[in-house]
Amino acid sequence: MAAAALALASAVSAADPKEGEAKAAVCFTCHGQGGNSTNPAVPSIAGQPAQFISTSLYMFREGNRKDSQMSPIAANLSNTEMNDLAAYFSAQKPAPSAHRASADNARAGPDLAQKFNCTQCHGARMLGQQHIPRLAGQQFEYLRAQLRGFKAGTRIDLDGKMSESAQVLSDKDIEILVDYLAGLGVQ
Amino acid sequence: MIKVLAAAVLLAFTAAQAQDKPAAAPPPSWKQGMTPEQAESTLHPFLIEVTGKAAKDLPVDKLKVPAGFKVQVWAEGLPGARSLALGDKGTVFVGTRQLKEVYAVIDHGDRREVKTLLKGLESPNGIVFNKGALYIAEHHRITRYDGIESRLDNPPDAKIVVDGLDPDNQPGHFWKFLAMGPDGKLYFNIGAPGNIVMPSYMQASIMRVDPKTGVIETVALGVRNSVGFDFNPRTKELWFTNHGRDWMGDHLPNDTLHRVSHKGMNFGYPFCHQGDTPDPQYGKYHSCKEFDPPVLKLGPHVAPIGMRFYTGKMFPAEYQNNIFIALRGSWNRTVKHGYNVMRVVLDDRGKVTKYEPFLTGFLVDEKADPPMWGRPNDVMVMRDGSMLVSDDQNGIIYRISYAK
Repeated sequence: MAAAALALASAVSAADPKEGEAKAAVCFTCHGQGGNSTNPAVPSIAGQPAQFISTSLYMFREGNRKDSQMSPIAANLSNTEMNDLAAYFSAQKPAPSAHRASADNARAGPDLAQKFNCTQCHGARMLGQQHIPRLAGQQFEYLRAQLRGFKAGTRIDLDGKMSESAQVLSDKDIEILVDYLAGLGVQ
Repeated sequence: MIKVLAAAVLLAFTAAQAQDKPAAAPPPSWKQGMTPEQAESTLHPFLIEVTGKAAKDLPVDKLKVPAGFKVQVWAEGLPGARSLALGDKGTVFVGTRQLKEVYAVIDHGDRREVKTLLKGLESPNGIVFNKGALYIAEHHRITRYDGIESRLDNPPDAKIVVDGLDPDNQPGHFWKFLAMGPDGKLYFNIGAPGNIVMPSYMQASIMRVDPKTGVIETVALGVRNSVGFDFNPRTKELWFTNHGRDWMGDHLPNDTLHRVSHKGMNFGYPFCHQGDTPDPQYGKYHSCKEFDPPVLKLGPHVAPIGMRFYTGKMFPAEYQNNIFIALRGSWNRTVKHGYNVMRVVLDDRGKVTKYEPFLTGFLVDEKADPPMWGRPNDVMVMRDGSMLVSDDQNGIIYRISYAK
């Protein structure tokens, strides 16, 4: 017998990109219009996987991630608001990256990304999926700060996978990877 | 000495330069045990929706149960909902693993009220209600909250039953399931510290602790990771589900169902899997004959979590003392399967006579990433004989009922 669902449940509202858009204006200040950042230290969130956005907001609210600007903003968001924002930003079109990797780093990047297990989760073209972010075309300084933070243990992820993966990266590896990733096409 | 070292470093550097591709880095723990041929695999574990997902956004109408049964959304808005426990006054307590909350669900008949009962715990996955108290197993300790059902808005401080169970805080299967045995002792697991590694003392085990004294004992060894157990209502024996290792291919090894007929049994990890399959690396150190085999092979990589014997009065008579098992996987398989609640029928001597799907519909596309929209995690029989099923991917609890 097929499911006769719903009637009993207490109401939890469905994720709504329209609701998200109304709440997103405050995000544009730093993340750019529609979530396409032009600040090298601030990540683009346009077209990121929805689950990655909701998971990030959750981590800022719960203290797994800390940031002087993001933490207070996330502190007052409900799960439903996070899901709405995720629905909105994941539906925006990511703008092409303005970053150009050096020829050497563009050549060395793919092998390093394979060697350091990046491709297994982020995908061969670094486009991300589910809770895993798109790295292709992401802002250079933001990427570098995250990898350094994972290695130093100051940037925490929910399941520890990035912390584990970043331990073996040298400073040089990080420079090459970040330059390569920031220059990749976003689609 | 310094010169020798420098020369060695230079040599290593030159060797690395000479290779076409850089040498592989040490894998993160969940990739441990991969073969070189699997190095480019894109299989990966899935993460729950940490903010939960609304049932309205999900194809819950695709869920299927056998004729005469009905499945409904019973409660939502419980991100990470896993292990279930039932209070004397009808409160449903819900543990989480990747989050830090324990929830209490109060049934008002026409609607459910969800309270966040406790916050800031370390993987509070194990949860038991007994004689007015709530017991919770975290990564590192088991605690007790007395008189909990009359203090849902003002829970008492935790009292320690046993502490120091996870001294290293390293990656590994150290979240815990918890069950109260007919002997009045709390049964819990300490899993293996990785995918396929030699466990140290007390790891890869099922233990029990006397909640009055805190004294612990080993119940079973060679158990890679069990996060579901229950006691056979006829024989009072402990039965449990177990997760087999990853990265042995799509078809091996099976996850398993086990029966503990006496203390001190060993089920083989890391030497032997599913009772008959030597580990490619550790198998040479012990024969499978030395270990106790499973009662049932549940399928490779299906990730069985909660299991309960059905003792209610609502389902048809042939369901009495059946075992229901929630399968939360698979991920370590190129063609996915599982994501069902299964039914196991036993004969009078405890032999399995049937193993079949009971609740299906979470799996959408066996080759997609992700392949499913929900993941059954625990099952619990309610006093009216209906059954609750938790789904930690979305933070939803479903209710399965039966009417002629």
